[in-house]
Amino acid sequence: MRKGEGGARVAERLQYKAKMWQYRELVRNLTIADFKSRYQNTSLGFLWSILSPLLLAGVLYFVFRHLFGQEEDFAANLLVGIMAWRFFTIGTTSSLHAIVNKPSLVTKVYIPRQILVLSNVLANLISSLLEFVVLLSIIFILLGHLSITVLLFPLIHFLYFWLIFGAGLLLSSLFVYFRDLDQMWEVLINVLFFCSPIVYPLSVVPPYLMPYYMLNPLTQIIVIYRRVMVAGDIPSLTSLVGVIVVGIVVYLVGNLVFSKLQRRFAEEM
Amino acid sequence: MSAITADKISKKFRIPHEKKTTLFQNIVGVIKRQFDYEEFWALKGVSFEVENGETFGIVGRNGSGKSTLLKILAKVLYPDSGSVKMNGKVASFLELGIGFQQELTAEENVYIYSSILGISRKQVKRIYDDIFAFAELKKFEDMKLKNLSSGMYMRLAFSTAIHANPDTILIDEVFAVGDEAFQKKCIDKINGLQKQGKTIIFVSHDLKAVKGLCRRSLLLNEGKIISMGATEKVINDYLALLNGG
Repeated sequence: MRKGEGGARVAERLQYKAKMWQYRELVRNLTIADFKSRYQNTSLGFLWSILSPLLLAGVLYFVFRHLFGQEEDFAANLLVGIMAWRFFTIGTTSSLHAIVNKPSLVTKVYIPRQILVLSNVLANLISSLLEFVVLLSIIFILLGHLSITVLLFPLIHFLYFWLIFGAGLLLSSLFVYFRDLDQMWEVLINVLFFCSPIVYPLSVVPPYLMPYYMLNPLTQIIVIYRRVMVAGDIPSLTSLVGVIVVGIVVYLVGNLVFSKLQRRFAEEM
Repeated sequence: MSAITADKISKKFRIPHEKKTTLFQNIVGVIKRQFDYEEFWALKGVSFEVENGETFGIVGRNGSGKSTLLKILAKVLYPDSGSVKMNGKVASFLELGIGFQQELTAEENVYIYSSILGISRKQVKRIYDDIFAFAELKKFEDMKLKNLSSGMYMRLAFSTAIHANPDTILIDEVFAVGDEAFQKKCIDKINGLQKQGKTIIFVSHDLKAVKGLCRRSLLLNEGKIISMGATEKVINDYLALLNGG
């Protein structure tokens, strides 16, 4: 009996995967619409995606260069940190609203609702990829070369994407029920910003705090990005495995919570 | 094989006295042991079966649970208990033209609406001409949606949805589409779908239409089935209910 139930569950999962494939066109349409709407009615359009991190990096560089300017490749590392940070902060805060912002697709018609989050994060992935392409050319100018380890970038970015997608599933479904979450998340994002080595180098973290500090997956990811993009090293296996495990756990938890909560979405909107 | 098997489905809504959506209010509510909502059973133990290729009517007064039932069949709502089994692809006409965007052309909107209904671009290309022929909007395909009249808008939406080729169709009062000539076309189209062996669930206040289309029906009142069977008899029960209450 139990075994039969398990089989039914597996069949249901497979059916669900097939459904997602059936709706690929919708994923594409929503992704493009999300991407376009972000820069709608601005005269510089997508350029803002590049311009705003560069301006931020410029400000931070001038503020912190006296403190950390003598660090190796300070400017390049700062830029990598900011770009990686942006993917996380914009990806999570915008996917937090992914369900609530599309009421008609939730209350009037059946679609696999994960699609709303997926397309949102995909739109952010496109922005982020374009940003990193520009970033790579800047790094090339700053350092005079690009190391071969840059080839690992797609893999790392994919892992990062999966982590953000998982967090997006969790946040967007909770937000339907608790509308304070966006304010809380904004605060938490700020805390995370200062708990991650973006504007300062890892060396300023007191040694006794280091074990706790490294528990922050964003720290691990930023360190990995810097290693492959600036230092030209292969990332350490432990940090890579750590990021993969965190990504899988966040995705599984997010997906589970989402699947449970989505049953009452249409009533709570 | 039955197309739809509903087994004792019940649905409970929580009607809050005052909308509390912030976490703080919820925590306070839990601590004070004070749940500021009333429970309202929109459906109570509804069971029925619809055969493949059957057209099945659902009638009842306002607030009797018809729309809730249809939304559960459409998987927009989930029942609190009981289960629904549906075979084949389901298309629901709860609302027409979801996702239509005023700034895009009629053509682009057909593709977007189709993708929401789960139809691939390739499939749409195959039925594209039929959609515009049926909607009688071939001349307007390059026009922005905001420049179409509301009647044209509904015709385009209805035509796109009806050409999606589902096995089961859920229809909720969408016959107020277009003028009389177009309404007649819609009825003809539905008749055609019946002949093709599609399963249709039809919710309406238009008793004449229900009588014309459905062989069997059920009557809902306060969330319970109070009559089910031949449409003639169900409608008589409904009229008796209306006159008695």
